[in-house]
Amino acid sequence: MQIKFPTKTLLMKRINLQIIILLILILTGNSFVFAQNRVVTGKVTGSDTGETLPTATVAVKGTTRGVITDMNGNYQIEILPGDAMLVFSFVGYDPQEVEIENKTMINVVLQIKRSTLEEVVVIGYGIVRKSDLTGSVSSVKAKELTKITSLNAEQSLQGKVAGVQVTTTSGAPGATPSVRIRGVGTFNNSSPIYVVDGVILDNISFLNTADIESMEILKDASATAMYGSRGANGVILVTTKSGTIGEEKTNFSYSGEYSIQTLTKKIDLLNGKEFATLANEIPGEPDYNNIDAVPNTDWQDMIFHVAPINNHQLSAWGASKRSTYYIGIGYFNQKGIIDKSGYERVTLKLNNTYNLTDYLKFGNNITISPYSQQNEPGVVFQSYRAWPTLLPYREDGSFAGVQGVGNPMANIEYNNSFNKGVRAVGSMFTEATFLKSFTAKTSLGIDAGYNKSENFSPVFTVLYYDGTESMQKHTKSSLYKGTSDNVTWLWENTLNYNQSFEKHSINAVAGYTMQNTNAEYLNASGENIIRDGSDFWYLQYNNIAGSGVNGGFNNGVDGYYSMISFLARANYSYNNKYIFTATFRRDGSSKFATENRFGNFPSFAAGWNISEESFMKKHAEISKLKLRASWGKIGNEKIAYSNRFSLTQDLVTVFGIGDILYPGVSYGRSGNPDLKWEVTTQTDIGLEIGLFTNKLTGEFDYYNRITDDILVDLSTPGFLGNGQGQKITFNAGKVLNRGFEGNINWRDKVGEVSYSIGILASTIHNEVLSVGGSSGIDSLLYGGNIKGFLTQSREGLPIGSFYGYKTDGIFQNQAELDAYPHTGDASVGDLRRVDVNGDHVINDQDRTYLGSPIPKFIFGFNAEASYKKFDVSFNLQGQTGNKIFNAKEFIRPDAYNFEQHVMDRWTGEGTSNSEPRATFGGYNYTPSDKFIQDGSFLRLRSVVIGYTLPKAFSQKIHVQEFRVYVKGNNIYTLTKFTGYTPEIGSGDVLSNGIDTGIYPITAMYSFGVNLTF
Amino acid sequence: MKNIMIPCTLALTIVLSLIFSGCESFLDKNPQGALTQTTFPTSESDALLAVNASYGTMLDLSFHSGIFPLTDIMSDDGRKGSNPTDQSSEIGQYDNFKSTKTGSELSLWWATLYQGIKRTNVVIEKVPGIEMNENLRDRYIAEAKFLRGLFYFDLVRAWGDVPLVTALNPSIKLERSAKADVYKQIEQDLLAAITDLDEKNDQVSTQLGRASKGSARALLAKVYLFQGDFANAETYALEVINSNIYGLEPVFTDANGVKGEHGIESVFEIGAIGIEGPGGNAYANVQGVRGTPNRGWGFNRPTPNLRASFETGDPRLKGTIIDLGDVIDGITIMGDGTTPDVTTDENGNILETECYNRKVWTPGSDVASQFGHNKRILRYADVLLIASEALNENNKPAQALTYLNMVRQRAREGNNMILPDITTTEKNALRDLILKERRCELAMEGHRFWDLVRTGKAAEVLGPLGFVTGKNELLPIPQSEIDISQGSLTQNPNWN
Repeated sequence: MQIKFPTKTLLMKRINLQIIILLILILTGNSFVFAQNRVVTGKVTGSDTGETLPTATVAVKGTTRGVITDMNGNYQIEILPGDAMLVFSFVGYDPQEVEIENKTMINVVLQIKRSTLEEVVVIGYGIVRKSDLTGSVSSVKAKELTKITSLNAEQSLQGKVAGVQVTTTSGAPGATPSVRIRGVGTFNNSSPIYVVDGVILDNISFLNTADIESMEILKDASATAMYGSRGANGVILVTTKSGTIGEEKTNFSYSGEYSIQTLTKKIDLLNGKEFATLANEIPGEPDYNNIDAVPNTDWQDMIFHVAPINNHQLSAWGASKRSTYYIGIGYFNQKGIIDKSGYERVTLKLNNTYNLTDYLKFGNNITISPYSQQNEPGVVFQSYRAWPTLLPYREDGSFAGVQGVGNPMANIEYNNSFNKGVRAVGSMFTEATFLKSFTAKTSLGIDAGYNKSENFSPVFTVLYYDGTESMQKHTKSSLYKGTSDNVTWLWENTLNYNQSFEKHSINAVAGYTMQNTNAEYLNASGENIIRDGSDFWYLQYNNIAGSGVNGGFNNGVDGYYSMISFLARANYSYNNKYIFTATFRRDGSSKFATENRFGNFPSFAAGWNISEESFMKKHAEISKLKLRASWGKIGNEKIAYSNRFSLTQDLVTVFGIGDILYPGVSYGRSGNPDLKWEVTTQTDIGLEIGLFTNKLTGEFDYYNRITDDILVDLSTPGFLGNGQGQKITFNAGKVLNRGFEGNINWRDKVGEVSYSIGILASTIHNEVLSVGGSSGIDSLLYGGNIKGFLTQSREGLPIGSFYGYKTDGIFQNQAELDAYPHTGDASVGDLRRVDVNGDHVINDQDRTYLGSPIPKFIFGFNAEASYKKFDVSFNLQGQTGNKIFNAKEFIRPDAYNFEQHVMDRWTGEGTSNSEPRATFGGYNYTPSDKFIQDGSFLRLRSVVIGYTLPKAFSQKIHVQEFRVYVKGNNIYTLTKFTGYTPEIGSGDVLSNGIDTGIYPITAMYSFGVNLTF
Repeated sequence: MKNIMIPCTLALTIVLSLIFSGCESFLDKNPQGALTQTTFPTSESDALLAVNASYGTMLDLSFHSGIFPLTDIMSDDGRKGSNPTDQSSEIGQYDNFKSTKTGSELSLWWATLYQGIKRTNVVIEKVPGIEMNENLRDRYIAEAKFLRGLFYFDLVRAWGDVPLVTALNPSIKLERSAKADVYKQIEQDLLAAITDLDEKNDQVSTQLGRASKGSARALLAKVYLFQGDFANAETYALEVINSNIYGLEPVFTDANGVKGEHGIESVFEIGAIGIEGPGGNAYANVQGVRGTPNRGWGFNRPTPNLRASFETGDPRLKGTIIDLGDVIDGITIMGDGTTPDVTTDENGNILETECYNRKVWTPGSDVASQFGHNKRILRYADVLLIASEALNENNKPAQALTYLNMVRQRAREGNNMILPDITTTEKNALRDLILKERRCELAMEGHRFWDLVRTGKAAEVLGPLGFVTGKNELLPIPQSEIDISQGSLTQNPNWN
């Protein structure tokens, strides 16, 4: 069908021509010509908005003639004799056919497509209408994801979905956050899995947010059941962009963003004079004769500075009759706020689908992402500890030594640590539809990664200001090179059946999948590299470190496991009112011995669309009311592949004159051949409401998940001979997570302003139900081993609960000290440790629960509005109920700087009852509630103000949409915590919420441009 | 439709057949790069690897009393050392017997000793079943038994009653065995070892450092000495002496130094290579000179009390203590800037001066060379003194004096103006003199504290430092072990 663009001039020409012909014909008395070249005009409007639809298609049915509506929705079309019907169509609306008869004006209101009105949601192995969904699924669309300057795709979810907690673990460029869905489910890996275009992955660091079409977060058992063996902690489905069949044009878009990062707040440390005052009070070095003349170095100012981020994305997508394509190229470059740290990444995305015939389709989704990361040398902790009374440079400009920690700038200067590599994730699939209702699909997905690490230190010596050598030196240059590669392939075969008849609708899928992972590493180190420059960072036979067996050389396997699964799901809905879903999955993993290899994971769910009932029809204001419930079992096997084996261990010994190295082999850690699947049983009840034609929508869920037979590493008695700190994996834990989640959204339009407001909140009750189980060892699960264990996970308390001494004031004088039980090293002016069990002795039995790192309440607030060409949005996010262990403050094996509150110290009777006497370490710096702080916070996560240039202007440069915006991220945080940021996450759930001096998160101010053309 | 059906059915058949073939074996994944305990040891070369691995335990820094030299620090010979704040709340507490049950040094030492014991059990339990040369097999098992005896000797002296593990896969609920039973097991192991081990002079030079008959006899003599069985102590010490394989190094500093490695005085030592990596032993680094020249952390600082205990002119003083300003191997010892040269208490008495343990000194130009120090577990001077002590207790003072004076003669290094021979034959006086000689000869080698405890002198000598009778003779069982045992292990007396 040809579509002509009726420009004004062409139209004018036409009309002129027609008038002339008309005149001629009238003069010739022939009315036949008039009847032949009739014109019909009209307006096309959309039913949902009442607005006119520009570029809607108006065509004469059965011919190739057609026109499109103009900016105001008006059209004019020439009608020839024999033309009977006009067909009106527009994407997202049901097409309409109208008989022409002898009308001269046909106005049409197109009805919005049912499926556009009802969101379509991607679930495991299929797509389903939201009204048919029985599980708890939250959907986040592309537009939402690009609102904040996300350094990675996971972070763009922060504060957007109820029940999902995204915590940054470090502000270092390239660091990925920890994601928790509905609490912390297990003692081992509590992260959800990601499924990107069908490929199952553990992280999505390679993805460019701009390539993502939508992310669906599957939360309850019914939704995650199709990923039964790994969905225990939730599943995040990521669908990347593609073109749409039928829309035969190519779209281009470019977005570019430039941001500046700054440190949001410094830690309040003592300055030179204050430190000198305290140092003089404390016996021993250092001592200062004249505290007014001491230097004052702000080490934080020295290491932190402003740094930029560049983020560009160019994409093209479109379709032809039988194929669609999406090509995306992205470039991301973040410099860290600490020198010599940064992350750079290029992503190339190629998504295609081809319809070979009407029944056979195949396609591919490929992402290739090379990256390069420079790692900062851990100077945050150094700058926190370094004495402010030291000058950073000596008189000749060289670095000055810093007692106890080393000069942070020297550390940055002599540090060269890089990670470079490529990640490629892709899948290819073939889909065939037959017998109308069946679809068979087979797909092969691959996740391949290659990473190279390089770490080089030159020879250097840092001298103290007076010229003596400090301990910060390197006598031989050293080089470490490591490579690791991993390939995971996933082969999935599914058969889908879709059938509706009368009021019944059935959707079923059955499938079989196989997966295999191989990951290997190789590393070696060398010394005495001939030159310092990066041109020489190669290991040669004459500089490999160590000699003989195992000299600085390592080769092994990180992962070597496979899985086979059978899956089946049936979804039945009656009259759109009653829906039932049943899912079953059987998985076998190579990580378990034959007897325990396979696990069965069923789940059931039901939903009731109450708003479809006849008795609800009279309540027109209630546009949606749905009740749903689900129950299911999901498995987890995220342990090291070799945990069930008792392995041997390589050792060395030395004999002989001349000290010859000999190899040895003995038994290493004992394995556990009885390991089996860890199972989470989850129940969910949800209510979805929509009022006033979905202006107000809300979704509320209550969830309860119990994880049993948790795979956990337990400490075993030392006399078993496994060595210090060695643990054996057992199925020995049980954890409960339950709570409420809800979100409410209001969207409306007042005059020319359209706006929406959303609130989301979730509560988490996390409790360990048992540890030890059938292992025979009821060991308390300890974690956070920094100067002894800081966390203890025990029955009745949350996972990773902090534990230590409770303190209650200060011993003001000798009498008070004598009156209360205390340990041998306590003196007057020290903290009083509470005798919790009342046995008149202060010992380990008095160490008790001090708080939980898991928040009890997480909430978010989003608002956005648009007025004419302006759009504005902001997002608040926060949590309460969690504590942070300020570990960086009490790790004091040496003399270090202090935080400001230490100035309020006890200096004599009655001077303070909260801050003990000044000491550089020892008694007052053992883990106690003195170092526990409130981790609650409220953060203004993003503010965006955008302006879309008038179409008249942008069209001149052939740009369809030209939007510019300014954005601010992490602008302000309200919190009591004294560290850089209250977001202290951790991949290890047993050492969560412990601040050991992480790389701070920054505030980002950006300016950007979105172009579509 | 039909032409679609045929390829579709074909595809389905292929898929289904792939599914049901090779299904199970796809999930059988063996561990990569490591043997499992079911396939090792099975051959003669495996047996050698297993024995070598047992020796390898001694290269683990935690084997040496949990990283830090606790026994010397508890005794009147040594104090913590290093700079004042380094480990002050952990290791510093051992100076005055204020340490706690939760220290990592305790759990590390305990765990490492039992790890060594497990490795010897692998040999003792598995090697008999291997088809191999019988002599070699017996010798390997003998070496493992020697090492097991050595490891249990440390356990029983440090903790007293300890769980006795003599086979692989012991019960998780194992309880502590009485001290006497542990000693019985040690004696049994060493007696069996003596039979099948080679004498030192029959060992190939590239294998020196493996346990020899002399090593086992010397260790057994010491084990008997600790139990007060002087008759047996005398027997086995004399067997070593009368084998005429061993002697004393002419220069005292060589007894522990590089020149004496695997030398005439070495009865059992731990070989090590001077690298900070596999094969290196960090034991000497922990006590090495701190600061300039940088040889280590500087722990185990000789006390003024030890300094004063040497007789006038005894060269063993400089052979034991490195002072600031000393020049050794052409290097001047400057010490550490953050450590005070002299520390006094509130009354002006000198608590310590900055000095270091000479016995771990290794020539070289950097820290890594310290890792090549071969720690002497047993040396001939020790054997002579054991013989002397046993003979005295067995009422043979003349013979006791012979051996005692051999030690003093060497210490003199040719200077007859110092260290005159001892002539006392009165039992009690001689006993004290022998104990004192042990101190001067073996100071800073980890023997002093246990010598005081076994001779009953600890309360008198260490009381002023904070030693509590009935408690500090033993270290506390690591608290983490008590917690994990859920009641099977009890704590040592008065440590609650």
